[in-house]
Amino acid sequence: MNRYALFLGCTTPRYVFQYELSSRWVLKQLGIELIDIDDFACCGFNQIDLNKETGLLLAAMNLAVAEARGLNILTLCTSCAGALAEAAKKLKADPKKREGVNSKLQTVALEYRGNIEVKHISRVLYEDIGVEKIEEAVKTDLSGLRAAPHYGCHYLKPEWISAGFDEPDAPQTLHQLISATGAVPISYETSNLCCGGKTFPISRDTTLSLVNRKLNNLKTKEIDCMVLQCPTCYLMYGEMQKQINKRFGEEHEVPVLLYPQLLGLALGGNPQTDLGLDLNAIPLDGIMARIAKSDQD
Amino acid sequence: MKPDDIPEDMPEDIPEDMPENISGDDSEETVQVPNLDPAFKYEVMRNEGAGGLKYCFACGACTASCPIHEIDHGFDPRKLARMVQLGMKDEVLSSPLIWYCSACRNCEQHCPQSVEFFNILNVLKNMAAEKGYAPYAWVVQTRHLMRTGMVFRTDEAWETRRKALSLPPLQLDGEKVRELIELSGLDELIVKKRP
Repeated sequence: MNRYALFLGCTTPRYVFQYELSSRWVLKQLGIELIDIDDFACCGFNQIDLNKETGLLLAAMNLAVAEARGLNILTLCTSCAGALAEAAKKLKADPKKREGVNSKLQTVALEYRGNIEVKHISRVLYEDIGVEKIEEAVKTDLSGLRAAPHYGCHYLKPEWISAGFDEPDAPQTLHQLISATGAVPISYETSNLCCGGKTFPISRDTTLSLVNRKLNNLKTKEIDCMVLQCPTCYLMYGEMQKQINKRFGEEHEVPVLLYPQLLGLALGGNPQTDLGLDLNAIPLDGIMARIAKSDQD
Repeated sequence: MKPDDIPEDMPEDIPEDMPENISGDDSEETVQVPNLDPAFKYEVMRNEGAGGLKYCFACGACTASCPIHEIDHGFDPRKLARMVQLGMKDEVLSSPLIWYCSACRNCEQHCPQSVEFFNILNVLKNMAAEKGYAPYAWVVQTRHLMRTGMVFRTDEAWETRRKALSLPPLQLDGEKVRELIELSGLDELIVKKRP
């Protein structure tokens, strides 16, 4: 049985309960054991902006906490995956840097030896479980459901993060994971466009314009929903549509699902208690009705 | 301009519709050499991941693939790289625009010279923060971090909500994070005033 330390990060447990709920539920169904660790803290992703060293120290602290328990890390947020994996890579390659970091971690009784692997949940699903096994586990037919994938930047970039697994400029793993549920992945021109989440606290207008670009592109495709795999991307596309409609005079109402919610539906999970579908900002009634109908057929 | 109106001494290879300002915008300004800091680029390139600035030939692949630039032309990776090369230290570090980056890392992904602009910009932001230009939103996040170990404010309603959804309680404790932040000097950096 595969075991991972569950790294929740900041955004998911604070604002995107449905991602946490559905992730815990689908991983349990598929035989991945998650260990909750109280000593985890922020990954340091944003602190790098102010002081690179602080960012690295925070990441190293989390890596050391997992290492002390002999567990690799599974993250829900793509940016946590990026920040932690980047720190792990740097600290493995450079013993001198590791020594410097450890001299500071010592004060909080921690040490990082450099042996932790960090994986985003979708990568775990793709590599540890595999598309075929997911297909076999599907109970509810989602065929015909047209889903537009959004990967999230730090799932793919920098290039080495997805090396041997996916390709930043032409990604396909989320497409395959969507296909495994029976739904149809729909490609679109702006599919690799950033959600702008990091810029949101700095310039709201910039981010909302960016989000609007993708939503307008999706309007030209016949899709039932957008499927993504990062809490920040979810907040931007899932929660900001009303603000965007008001600000730019649009009429967007695109249902947005986190991938584990889509997978959970296919695995027969309870839409509310297992997958938190009622917590999504844009109602998913249309999708639910569709699934109920195809169940009867 | 009709062909008959072309003065005889005009070179033939200039297209008729050539705009007066070839860059297409009118924001060009004169850079005053005495105001430049020639050591600035070395100061930047000394940092990990920033040495590639030396190889930037200003092709603009970074700017072309930048999602923020597409929305807000004021944020321009190529221009910022050039400003650093020229030594426009004060203009760069005091610019609110350097904080607009969404960290998508398209710039380094598409750079033909393997310049890691994301890292270079990070060095610039660190330098700007040292001078007291840390944006308020980031300062607030750091304060939350020092209290709870996560970057958001937490409250009772939130804890109740998690409980109602049968999500495990989080043992929030910012103590270790606070110690590490103090060790690396970030606590002092976030109280610095702008010049």
